[in-house]
Amino acid sequence: MPGVLVVLALAWVAVTGEVSLGNLLEGAVLSALLLVLLRRPPRRALRLGRVPKALGLLLYFLRELLLANAVVARTILSARPSLAPGVVAVPLDLTSDAGIATLANLISLTPGTLSLDVSEDRRTLFVHALHVSDPEAFRREVKEGFERRVKEVFE
Amino acid sequence: MSLRDLLAAALLLAGVLTALLAAIGLLRMPDVYTRMSASSKAVTLAKMCVFLALALEFGALGVTTRALAAVAFVFLTAPLAAHAIGRAAVALGVPFAPGTMPNEMPPREPASAEDADP
Amino acid sequence: MTLLSSLALHVGLPVLGLALLLTLVRLAKGPTIADRVVALDLLGTLGISVVGVVAVAARNAVYLDVAIVLALLSFLGTVAFAAYLERSR
Repeated sequence: MPGVLVVLALAWVAVTGEVSLGNLLEGAVLSALLLVLLRRPPRRALRLGRVPKALGLLLYFLRELLLANAVVARTILSARPSLAPGVVAVPLDLTSDAGIATLANLISLTPGTLSLDVSEDRRTLFVHALHVSDPEAFRREVKEGFERRVKEVFE
Repeated sequence: MSLRDLLAAALLLAGVLTALLAAIGLLRMPDVYTRMSASSKAVTLAKMCVFLALALEFGALGVTTRALAAVAFVFLTAPLAAHAIGRAAVALGVPFAPGTMPNEMPPREPASAEDADP
Repeated sequence: MTLLSSLALHVGLPVLGLALLLTLVRLAKGPTIADRVVALDLLGTLGISVVGVVAVAARNAVYLDVAIVLALLSFLGTVAFAAYLERSR
């Protein structure tokens, strides 16, 4: 709970744009009020030891974002777009809600790929991509790139 | 002209050009899924560039924190919106472009129990 | 007027205007309602970029708040639309 409180208070300071101790306290009081109002079952606390892994994931994601954007830009601007769209079912090793949601969102944010749905049993993620030449290679890329890193942070 | 101005100008240009790219992609791609792939992500990058240019341009701490909060917000919401539209499109049965290979999306079952068996 | 703000005014806004026009074409053409929702979403988010570029052009940070509120509304609108479509089939 304290982790969420700190994040919310910092968000308050950022959005109001007034960096001062008083404003931080104001944000903390409002956040505490909000958390009491929206009380939910307790969840696992943020673990500080995972911060480096999370930063690694962020860097990997930013690199993927720029690379993929360049590829998509070339596809859009070429006279005859070389599309090979496909929907690939990616089996999931992740089991937690937070992990699956993060993986799906990261895939959606990377240009050229879009997570369409998660199967009912939450063991398969359906991903649409602009270029699928080899579905096996695509699956491997997602699992060894994003999923492994997300798993290290969340599970 | 300082380095900061130069960087802000570069970010601004990159931002608006990426936004244009998103619109061109939306127009040129063959089906709704490829259109979303081309547009909604590119425009996320565009917004990030514009907000970062803003943060650099004003340099005031209050503006920078708000711009960064806006970037964080954009990155949190963009994939949710894209996923919501994508799911809705699949649920509506919007067809995939011809040549979508492979298509491992399971065939749609009847909408729901009530719909199938009144 | 600094170089940056004139760049925003004379290059940034026209380019975004062109992008808005192209998006309007897709909005008119469809063909499915999902395409139109995607176009509407892009319109909203291009609008956010427009406000950001206007803030640079006018050298006034007040527009940043406008952009943030617009981002909130545009996201809610898109998600509401998608949820409605998914339920209406």
